[in-house]
Amino acid sequence: MKQGALFLIAAALLAALPALDSPFVLSMALTCLMYAGLAVSWSMFSGPTGYLSLASSAFFGLGAYCTAWGLSYLPWPVVVMAGGLAATLFAFLIGLVVLRLRGAYFAVITYGLGELVKHTITHVEKTYAGTVGRVMTDTPSSNVVYWTVLIIALLAVVTYVRFGRSRYGHALRGIGMDEERAATLGVNPMRVKLLGFCLSAWFAGALGAAMAVRWTYIDPHTVFNPFIVFQTVLISMVGGPLTIGGPLVGALVFSLLSEFLRLSLPYLYMILLGVLLIVSVLYLPNGIAGHDWRGTWQKIFKRSKAADAVTEQRHE
Amino acid sequence: MYPFSRRMTLQAALAIAGLLALPGFAVAQEPTVKVGYTQSRSGPFAGGSQTTQEPNYILWAEQVNAAGGLNVQGKKRKIELVGVDDRSDMETIVRSYEKFMTTDKVDIVLPPWGTGANFAVAPVANKHGYPMVAPTALSQKLVDMKLPYYFVTLQQPKPMMNALVEMLAANQVKTVTIAYMDDLFGLENIGALEPMLKEKGIQVLDKKSYPLGVKDLSTMLKGMKAANPDAFIGITYPPDNFLVTGQAKEIGFAPKIFYTAVGTAFPIYRDRMGKASDGVMGMGSWNPKMSKAAKAYFDAHVAVTKKEPDRWASAHAWAALEIIQQTVEKVGLDRKAMRDHIAKTEFDTVLGKMKFNGTEEVGVPGMVGQWQNGEFEIVWPPARATSKAVVPKVWN
Repeated sequence: MKQGALFLIAAALLAALPALDSPFVLSMALTCLMYAGLAVSWSMFSGPTGYLSLASSAFFGLGAYCTAWGLSYLPWPVVVMAGGLAATLFAFLIGLVVLRLRGAYFAVITYGLGELVKHTITHVEKTYAGTVGRVMTDTPSSNVVYWTVLIIALLAVVTYVRFGRSRYGHALRGIGMDEERAATLGVNPMRVKLLGFCLSAWFAGALGAAMAVRWTYIDPHTVFNPFIVFQTVLISMVGGPLTIGGPLVGALVFSLLSEFLRLSLPYLYMILLGVLLIVSVLYLPNGIAGHDWRGTWQKIFKRSKAADAVTEQRHE
Repeated sequence: MYPFSRRMTLQAALAIAGLLALPGFAVAQEPTVKVGYTQSRSGPFAGGSQTTQEPNYILWAEQVNAAGGLNVQGKKRKIELVGVDDRSDMETIVRSYEKFMTTDKVDIVLPPWGTGANFAVAPVANKHGYPMVAPTALSQKLVDMKLPYYFVTLQQPKPMMNALVEMLAANQVKTVTIAYMDDLFGLENIGALEPMLKEKGIQVLDKKSYPLGVKDLSTMLKGMKAANPDAFIGITYPPDNFLVTGQAKEIGFAPKIFYTAVGTAFPIYRDRMGKASDGVMGMGSWNPKMSKAAKAYFDAHVAVTKKEPDRWASAHAWAALEIIQQTVEKVGLDRKAMRDHIAKTEFDTVLGKMKFNGTEEVGVPGMVGQWQNGEFEIVWPPARATSKAVVPKVWN
């Protein structure tokens, strides 16, 4: 109940953000929300199952291309929905095949699929449309884009929580712990995994569809950018993919921090960011949200107490 | 008795001296002119950005400040560059420019590197009424958007391909093979090139496209070798032009004219390809032999940034800065007045006279350059040529 109220307040505050009339704050928030949405949707499937999917870039890019194709013909909400659905459909088709793989093989093949889609779209566009990049001129205002991304991100959070608590969520976690055992207990692993994978794909696709209009012009290399999925995975890992707080905190911290460092230390920020990542991976293996902060606190506290005791003894 | 003790007089004198020493009190110093921009210091655009564009921004600020500052309608004000890395990421580029224009309210913005990035910021600049003069944007579609605050100094595909085809015809080329990149740049250039070739009666024996990031083009080149054309046209850019040149040499594909489009004018192309680069033609606009102004620019660039400028878009980046500088001197920092001045004035730049027709610059014609003994000579059109074209290219 308390969490529900918190969620509603946060949603209302975020929705009112355009009232500040500061394009920079708005675009900063937009970046946070985009990565929050991507990280939450990624964690929805990859968190419980432990399947490291690198397909988010492909979903995102498909969504973006749906916007480039449909924006002049269809109303905005339909375009965004369609972007998500295209990603879902693609996830379904490839899921039938790739979800049979595990571990590193799964990660590599999902990454490869991103490249496949990129080159397929390039080829199709070149052959049938005589172009590769697409220009979008009649675009919705930045407030509309912001609210759209906000809604998708909020939907992702609600879905993450609901889905996690549902029968399917439990089944996904079961698969993550031991796929064979889950199967013996009556779970159809393929069906459950496919459901989770498709669900997670919708959000990445819809986000791609919503963000594409920000750049006026898209080509396969901007929207099928592997950097998008690397960042998403990092955010989820740093935040901790097993609780809803993880990807959210991760997205917030990561976006704000990297922006702050980029603007204030333009020549050093990459090094600092790298060091911070290494530190967080080494010392926070369960992510910021998944970390036992109380335990760490007690450890430091007790250790210093113990150290004090030692020095006191020496003095005596 | 004096009304003031000696100590008091001394204290007063010291205090006044101290006040005078403080900046702002002694002379009413003019505020700085804030200039905001992003360039790619990391990511896939970094190579182009750091060769062609950002060194010019840094050189410009240094030169202008060394001369006392930017002349703003008679008042000298120091330039304060606010340049950040955009990570070659579109969303970061858009966000940074929104910050410059709305939160920081900088006086001037300079454009980012590359066509895609320019597509992304041009509407933002236009919306907030910031004039932007871009050196590294190449697309008819961008020109056709007709954004009143946006200008491009680089020659677009049509004039560039026109110069190429005229040069080919002048050298009695009858047949060509074409390789082009699968992207907007490749397609727009091909779109301009093919009708022009047809008009001159030059036959296309083979035409192949390849994707960005290609690692091997030897099969394609072997096919073209078998077709035995007079000229090879590569609508390529780095790193593919290195690949094409290197592999053509390896398999012994040696047409009379070998043309690779963008990046051929980069000093690194000459340095990496060594002897094979000699005689290769490509997109270019200038070299230090062209004029005194060009020589001065070249020397300053080498002295300050410790690297040579490229022989094409670098000078267009410099010209864009000259245009901004002359505009500010004339009309100050009022952005609407700047925009109107840029739109209707003919400017004197390192590349000669420049003038805009809408977004597109129309004073500097399309050109073809050729590496000859370590310099990228302009070989077409004759009015701009710094040397005669060496045809056939010697392959050794």
